[in-house]
Amino acid sequence: MKYIPKYLFTIIFCVGILGSCAEKQDFDQLDDLEVTPTTEASILYVETPERIINQVSGINFYSQTFNFDAFSEEFFADNVLDGVVTYEVENTTSKPLDITFEFLDDTGNSLDSENFTVNAAPTAILQREIAYGPAGRSLDIIRNTSAIRVSAINLGDNTSVSALPNPTVFLRSSAKFRIQLK
Amino acid sequence: MIRSLVLFITLIVGYMTIHAQNKEVLYDFIEIPQALMVNPGMNTIYNWYAGVPLISGIYVQGATSGLTVNDIFAADGLDINQKVRDRALYSLSKRDEVNGIFQVDILNGGFRGQKDPANFFSFGMYVEGYALNYWPKDLAILAYEGNADRLGQRFDLNDLNASGQLINVLHFGINRQIKNNLTLGARIKLYSGIVDINSTNNSGYFETTAGQNNLLRNTLVSDMRLRTSGLEALLDANDNGGGIASLLTKRGLFGGDPGLGFDFGVTYNLNKQTVITGSLLDIGLLYHISDVTNYTLEGSASIEGVEIILPEALGDPNADFWEDLVNEIEELVPFEENSKNYVTLRPIKFYSSIRYNFGKQGEPTEVCDCENQTDSSDRSLYYLNSVGGQLYAINRPRGPQFAVTAFYQRRFAKALALKATYTVDKFTASNIGLGISVQAGPVNLYIMGDNLLAYGNIADGNYASFQLGLNIISWEVN
Repeated sequence: MKYIPKYLFTIIFCVGILGSCAEKQDFDQLDDLEVTPTTEASILYVETPERIINQVSGINFYSQTFNFDAFSEEFFADNVLDGVVTYEVENTTSKPLDITFEFLDDTGNSLDSENFTVNAAPTAILQREIAYGPAGRSLDIIRNTSAIRVSAINLGDNTSVSALPNPTVFLRSSAKFRIQLK
Repeated sequence: MIRSLVLFITLIVGYMTIHAQNKEVLYDFIEIPQALMVNPGMNTIYNWYAGVPLISGIYVQGATSGLTVNDIFAADGLDINQKVRDRALYSLSKRDEVNGIFQVDILNGGFRGQKDPANFFSFGMYVEGYALNYWPKDLAILAYEGNADRLGQRFDLNDLNASGQLINVLHFGINRQIKNNLTLGARIKLYSGIVDINSTNNSGYFETTAGQNNLLRNTLVSDMRLRTSGLEALLDANDNGGGIASLLTKRGLFGGDPGLGFDFGVTYNLNKQTVITGSLLDIGLLYHISDVTNYTLEGSASIEGVEIILPEALGDPNADFWEDLVNEIEELVPFEENSKNYVTLRPIKFYSSIRYNFGKQGEPTEVCDCENQTDSSDRSLYYLNSVGGQLYAINRPRGPQFAVTAFYQRRFAKALALKATYTVDKFTASNIGLGISVQAGPVNLYIMGDNLLAYGNIADGNYASFQLGLNIISWEVN
């Protein structure tokens, strides 16, 4: 009789250890796990004072192509799902302007462009969002972009000066893209 | 394969820390010689013992706080993405952790001093491995959700706190009964580091704010490091298709990183039935000097994309502003590699206990010349029952962790001893452990398990440990 507790204890222990089990786990769920962070950062900022515009003869006062490899980086290009590019144009100069952003591929071909016509100051800040992906323009534009060209045309004169302090035209842009990490 | 394993460990361990390592069932279980390893000042009741090589002490343990395997992988029909979001991403804190450890005795033995039986010497060698990681909350959110629409939110780089280590330990201990009611013990440990990986004490942040010029500003302030020793050689050996075993053996037998540590312990009998004990373990360090490769990311940078400010930008019509930006970032926050030696501290552990013995089952039967013999005044073996409490603490990177244990021990002559424990710690408040020590002649077998209530569905448990060993013990007093 006195050994009953001993055996009982031992049996409980062994059953406890050896009889351990686990409810059914479905590790295949990992296949359904989606890690798709949305990242955002600025792309390009161009700042041109009015005096520079006045110094340039002709209406096309600025045109430059910038190498921009962020979108064509292999990891990004392979995994981007969708996104939005945001543009903002602020004009405090005395001239109406026509500004164009272009996405170029590695041979210089224009893949996409966005045009802004802004009035002379005082005028509101122009902001525009362009979607890429299933609900917008083709993602291939983004994937193949390796340069950005900015062109600006002065639709006014070369002499006037804005009454606002430090008259300048500001071109701002940012990108927000969803990336598939898994 | 090893690279994949390292990646897997890094990811899983992207949410872990190790070293719960509380051996509350073994502690002060004086019938088991390996209990000396958690209190070198334990009352020793053997003449000598010899552990069966490789199986005298096998210990494995895993613990998670805040999340279980079942929480994510249960076949419950729920969307895993929602489960990850609800149960991990936004539920776990940077103090939550996962840990796992194993310890295998290669050799373990002990003997009583011939000239002075009050002394008991123990020695041995064991291999220990662990991996550790706290939940990198901010980095996990950044990786899972990204930085979009989170203006002003700082992602703390300090959330990355992970480490793993594989070491071999050669140890020698002395245990001396100073007085009838006082036993002291100490152990010296010579560590040989085989592999070490750690990324701790990181600081800095990543933040997105409204830009000063452009629409957004991304700021990275970083003081991060990943330190490794032994890893490159291991990866090379794997790539070269062999030599891993010889590499591990070589580094484990003092061809790796040297280290030194000490254990101390005490047992004091308040009276014939009440005993208090305490121990401090692994007061030591490893000096990583071999095959060291460290990676650092230090510096700070704020960017607002490619910035063209006229007329300055017209100065160089061939300028590559994108490349300039990339180069500037790499200069401000360089990712560098070095081979500087470094030191890691062992996690210091503290045990203490109070035990009350009752239910006398007889007096000692040994006939001896007690002037020359040790008289273990720990009469625990002469009582059927012991009950008491234990306190455990371990030094962790994010502050000490504690565990409180209540225990009951029952003896059936020398043939069988059982110990049941109830432990509360950060992992679980329902940890019931059981241990059995069976003595069949000179052969001693012990088995211990922890958090047994979770064994019904171990995938849903926050903590589990298992330990077993086989020894040959001579209980005879000289």
